[in-house]
Amino acid sequence: MGVLHLKINGDDLEVAAPGHWTLLEVLRYRLGLTGSKQGCDKGDCGACTVLLDGKPVLACLTLAATVQGRHVTTIEGLLPAHVAAGGKGADPVQDAFDRCGALQCGFCQSGMMLSARALLNRNPQPSDAEIKDALSGNLCRCTGYTQILQAVELAICEAAGRTPTPRSWERASCADSGAASASDSGERSA
Amino acid sequence: MSSKLPASPLEPRAQDGAPKKKKILVPKVENGHETMVEIEVDDVAGPEWGPREKLRLLNHEFVRVDAVDKVTGRARYTHDVRLAGMLYAKFVACPLPHAEVRVDLSAAKQVPGVVEARVVRDGEIRFVGQPVAVVAAKTREAAEDGARAIKLDLKPLPFAVTREQSLAANAPEVNRRGNASKPDERGDAAEVTAAFARCAAAIEATYSVPVQHHACLETHGAVVDVPSNDAATVYHSTQATFASAGEFKGPLKVSDVEVINEHMGGGFGSKFEAGVEGRVASELARDLKVPIHLMLSRKDEFLAAGNRSGCTATVKLGGTQDGKLVALSASVDRFGGLGGGSHAGLPYIYSVETSHRSMRSVYTHLDGNRAMRAPGHPQASFAMESALDELAYALGVDLVEIRKRNVGDVHAKQLERAAREIGWAEHPHKSKPDLSDAVVKVGIGFGLSQWGGGGHPECRVTVDIAPDGGVRATVGSQDLGTGVRTYVAAIVAEELGLPLGGVTARIGRTSYGPANASGGSVTTASLAPAVKHAAFNAKRSLLEALAKTLASAPDELVLDTQGVYDARSKRRLSWKDACATLPPAGISAVGEWQANLASNGVHGAQAAKVRVDTRTGEIQVVKMVCVQDCGLPLNRTGVRSQIFGGMIQALSYALFEERVIEPDLGLALNANFEDYKLAASREIPEMVAILDDDDTRGVIGMAEATIVPGHSAIANAIHNACGVRLRSMPLTCDKLLLGLAALKKG
Repeated sequence: MGVLHLKINGDDLEVAAPGHWTLLEVLRYRLGLTGSKQGCDKGDCGACTVLLDGKPVLACLTLAATVQGRHVTTIEGLLPAHVAAGGKGADPVQDAFDRCGALQCGFCQSGMMLSARALLNRNPQPSDAEIKDALSGNLCRCTGYTQILQAVELAICEAAGRTPTPRSWERASCADSGAASASDSGERSA
Repeated sequence: MSSKLPASPLEPRAQDGAPKKKKILVPKVENGHETMVEIEVDDVAGPEWGPREKLRLLNHEFVRVDAVDKVTGRARYTHDVRLAGMLYAKFVACPLPHAEVRVDLSAAKQVPGVVEARVVRDGEIRFVGQPVAVVAAKTREAAEDGARAIKLDLKPLPFAVTREQSLAANAPEVNRRGNASKPDERGDAAEVTAAFARCAAAIEATYSVPVQHHACLETHGAVVDVPSNDAATVYHSTQATFASAGEFKGPLKVSDVEVINEHMGGGFGSKFEAGVEGRVASELARDLKVPIHLMLSRKDEFLAAGNRSGCTATVKLGGTQDGKLVALSASVDRFGGLGGGSHAGLPYIYSVETSHRSMRSVYTHLDGNRAMRAPGHPQASFAMESALDELAYALGVDLVEIRKRNVGDVHAKQLERAAREIGWAEHPHKSKPDLSDAVVKVGIGFGLSQWGGGGHPECRVTVDIAPDGGVRATVGSQDLGTGVRTYVAAIVAEELGLPLGGVTARIGRTSYGPANASGGSVTTASLAPAVKHAAFNAKRSLLEALAKTLASAPDELVLDTQGVYDARSKRRLSWKDACATLPPAGISAVGEWQANLASNGVHGAQAAKVRVDTRTGEIQVVKMVCVQDCGLPLNRTGVRSQIFGGMIQALSYALFEERVIEPDLGLALNANFEDYKLAASREIPEMVAILDDDDTRGVIGMAEATIVPGHSAIANAIHNACGVRLRSMPLTCDKLLLGLAALKKG
C-alpha cells in the first residue's frame, strides 16, 4: 500500500491505497465520493465518468496512480468548481438537467453530466451529432435520452444567449389538427 | 407515529354510525402480474382533483424535488451505503448450465482480509450464474480474491438450453412435469377453421422474440445491518419496500426490520424479492454481527437477476376484403428458462370475430424470467402487429385503416393523431411496401398499446403542518426513478396553496407508513389519491383550528396561494401567520386511498419512421411518435420521461437486445454491457410524446403501456420501407440483407 498524491475537486489529498487500485475504487472506497457510480466495472456503461484536466475519463479503467498531480473533477466537485470560477450555484449543465427532467433513477446521471460538461469545455457550440457522439459512452436505461439531449441543448443555447428550438411537445397536443410534422418544419426534439 | 393520531374529522360516517360501503374492481398486482379483484370501499364523496384549468402545479411541467440531490451526486443508493465495520460480500456462481457441484472453501478462508466463506448451494445446480458460494471480506478486493480462491468440483450433467434441446426425444429432464407445460387452450379450433373459409385473405407466419434483460444501472443487492438481537436495518434496492421487510425477517430472525430505499437505480420489474442476495446478506450479518454489503456484479446481474421471457408464436390471421378481422389461430411457446415465461395472449388488443390459441411454456436450464415492464405484452404485440400488417398488404388495405377497423374509438382517434404526426397522409406506401430500386428507403409502421394502471388501497400517507409553516408529507413508498417523491410534494402543495418547495416529501422507509409494491404501473393510482386525501384532511384540520382562533367558521375560510382569507371578518392571514396560531404539535392528518381519484385502463398509439440502406442493411429509426392517455397527468415532464423511456427500451429491444446462449456448451455469451448492447444517444431518433388530453379521468399509471408497441412499429416500418418482413427480433442488418437477397431472387 502506497501513498497517492491526488487533486480531487480542487483539494490536494494524500490517500493510502494499493498501487493497482483504480481511480473509481479510491473515490468510492477511500474517499466516500459515491457520486461516481459503479455500473459495470469494465468501461462499458459510463456511470463512473469523471473529468481529468477537464476531459472525460472512465474512473473504473483509470489507475489512480496515473492521475497524480492532475486535476480530477467528480460530480461532487462540479457545482463548487462553477462557483469558484465566478458562477452562481449549479453548473449550467446541472441546472439544465434539472429543468428538462433529464433524469429518472439518476444512476447514470453523474457520468452523463460530466460527459456533457467535457464536451462544452472543448466545444461550446456543438452540433446535434457532436452532442450525441459525446454522450454515446453513457448508458441510460430509464429516460430514453430525449430529455438529456434537450438539457445539453438548453445549456448550450443559454450560454450563447439563444432560445432553444421549441420542443416537439410544445407544438403537439392530441387535439391539434395541424398536419406539419416536426421534421418537415425543420424542428426536432433531439 | 401516525397510528397514535386522532381519527380525521372527515372519516366517512353513515347516519347509522357505520360507513356505507360499495364494491369496486381494482387491479391486484403480484410480481408484476395484474389481475382484477373486487374490494369494498366507503361510499362517500372524497376530495376531488377539481377542474384541470384550475390546477396550478399538477398537469403542468415541473422540476423534480430530488433533482438537486441527483445532479450533485448526493443521492444515496444502496450501492453507496457505507457503515462502520461493514464487510463486502461476493458470490461465486456456477459456470455450467447443469452440474453436480461441490464447493471447497479452504483456500478462500486463507486469503488475507477474508472473514467468512460459505456454501450458498451445492449439489445439483440448474443454471449458469446460480450462486453457489459467498465470501465476505474487509474490502471489496479481498472479497474478489477470496471468491477466486474458491474451488468448485463440477460434474457436468446433460442440459437443455434451447427449445430444440428441451423438446428433443432424449432431452434431459428440466421440469419434473415435462419439459413443456400442458398447452393452455382458448377458443374453439373448429369454429376458427370454419371462419377462415369466410376470409378474403389469410396469412400465416411464425414470429419470435429473444430474451431481453432489465439492465438496471444499479444491480440488485442489499446492505444489511443487525445492530441488536431484535431489530435490523436493511438498505435494499427494491420495488417492494414493505414486502421486502417481511422477507428479511425470516433469515434475520428479528421481529423489527426497517427497510430503507432512498434512491434506487431502476427496477423495471426485476426487483420485487429479497432474492438469494438478500437472504445471504442477512444470514452473514446475523451470524457475523457486522453490516454486510452484497451487491451483484454486472455479470451476476445478467446471469441470474431476471429477464423478459422470449417466445415464438405461429399465427394465422384472416379478414374480410375491407380489413375486418374474422379468424385467428395461434400457437405460442414461451421461453422463461426454469420459469414459465409470460405472454399476454392472442389476439392482442384488436378484436377478432373468432379465435383459437394454444400456449405453453418450454423449460430450459436458464435462470427463470421475472416480470419486466408490461410482462408478456411486447411479445404479444410483435406477433399481432406483424401479422396484422402482413394481412393488410395481402388485402391491399391501408395500414392505419385496418387498425382503426378493429379497435375502439379511443385507439382509433389516437392512431389518427399518431399518423398525422408521423406524416402518413403524405406517405406514398400505405397499403403495399416500397419495392422500388431506390438505395435508401423510408418506411412507416404502427402499433397500439394498452395497460391497466389502476390503484388499490394499500398506502397510508401522513401530512404534517408545523407552526413555522413547514409541511411534510410522509409515506414509505419507493421511487424507482419515476418521480414519486416529486408528485407527493406537488399534490400536497397544490391542495395547500403552497409552492412546490413549500412541501418536503419523505419516502423510502418502512417506518414512514405502508405503501404498495411498485409493479404493474399501480403506484401512481394507488399513492396519489392517498396523498390527496391526507392533504385534504390536513387542510380541513387547519381551517377548523383557525376558525376557533379567529372566531370564524371553517366554511368561511378560504385557503389559496395568498394564505387564508376569512370571509366573516374580511381579514387575510399569510400562510406563515396562519400556521403560527397552531399549537406546538402542529397538525397531523392521515390519508388513505380514494376510489374516485383513480381510474384504470390506458391506451396508446405509436408510429415509427425508419430509413434502411439496402446496400449495407443499416436500419435507422428516424422518428417515433407516441399518443398516450393516462387520466390526469401529475407532472407532464415526468409522464413524457416515462413515454420516451418506454419507447427507447422498445427501440433497443427491436434493434439490439438479445441474450445469446451458446447451445453446445450452454454458456451465456453476452453477460455484459459490451456484448449486450443497449440503445444509446446515437440511436435516438426524433421523439414526439403527445399526451391525450381528451382523457378527463382520475390518475392512472401508464409507464408499462409505453414499452408495448415500439418494436412492432419499427419492424412494420422496415417492411414498409423495403418489402422485407423480419419475423425474428432483434431486427439486424444481416437479417435484412438476407431478406433483400431473397426478395431479389423472388
